[in-house]
Amino acid sequence: MSNDPKPASRSAQKVLSEEFFLSRSKILDLAATLDRLDRAEGSVDELQQRQLLIQGIEILLDKNPDKAKRVQLLMSRPYDPDWRKNYGLH
Amino acid sequence: MDYIDPHIHMVSRTTDDYETLARMGCVAMSEPAFWAGFDRGSVESFRDYFRQLTQFEPKRAAQFGIQHYTWLCINAKEAENVSLSREVIAMIPEFLNESNVLGIGEIGLNKNTKNESTIFLEHVDLAVRYNQQILIHTPHLEDKFQGTKMIVDMLVHDTRVDRSRVLVDHVEEHTIQEVLDQGFWAGMTLYPVTKCTPARAADMIERFGPERLMANSAGDWGPSKPTAIPDLIMELKRRGHSRELIRRVVYENPCKFFSQSKNFKAPLGSS
Repeated sequence: MSNDPKPASRSAQKVLSEEFFLSRSKILDLAATLDRLDRAEGSVDELQQRQLLIQGIEILLDKNPDKAKRVQLLMSRPYDPDWRKNYGLH
Repeated sequence: MDYIDPHIHMVSRTTDDYETLARMGCVAMSEPAFWAGFDRGSVESFRDYFRQLTQFEPKRAAQFGIQHYTWLCINAKEAENVSLSREVIAMIPEFLNESNVLGIGEIGLNKNTKNESTIFLEHVDLAVRYNQQILIHTPHLEDKFQGTKMIVDMLVHDTRVDRSRVLVDHVEEHTIQEVLDQGFWAGMTLYPVTKCTPARAADMIERFGPERLMANSAGDWGPSKPTAIPDLIMELKRRGHSRELIRRVVYENPCKFFSQSKNFKAPLGSS
């Protein structure tokens, strides 16, 4: 069998129709979470976790591809190529 | 469809789970050594655990016609205790000739510390000296990207390591490319909250192809689902993928990778 990456086996219209309700549910969950935060006492606007959620939502709305990978990287600690030297490992 | 779960922690599952897995088509599994939910206090605790993995679990699995294989190590969480880790590493060779041992694993990083890295390198050295395959745990959540790159860096730095005999587990969208590009096998762990869903695993199969790619359930102490691989099979079928493609990911690839260990015997008569 070839290892060529498999093209999407479904048309965009089919993907949308099959996944619309699940996606709708996930958006509602996220919206309700943000509502819950708004209703709760105190403010978290300055906290990094809240900012990461907003930045993640912004990635979903932009026009660029690889959204899942970019959200993952947004939520990741950076890699330092000199880590071995910093740890004294050779 | 028959399938193999290449990474499932059956010590944390009931005998009923073995029966359910058999009914769902699981014909073989491999169980890497991992954290017990608490830090163990002595090398004797690990000796008993390795006896459980090499003697007890294979018998429990065999009751339901499932082949049980295992991997041995001290996991990354407990690697912060360097002296205990070194005692365990020195004891592991006692078990390497047990008939269900495939190699050293799941070794890796947890919080990407210096001690974890030191013990990771010593495990790799053990594997190389004893000609063992390696199964790798990559960290979770915000530590995954950094930790996976550190692990790949350590592995490619050691020219003795045969990359085709190394499986890097828990890959996600931001780590899979580098693992595959460097010539390692990659495992996608299907887990309800952290790690990967069946739908996202199917996306990665569509994007990267089936070469050197597997899926597993982890099936551990956390809120995991031991039947997650059948969920992936269903997702791929739902999307219209061929039986040939699905079987390659859930059966043939684990067979091909495990066959590099002298102890692995492919399940007979699988469909």
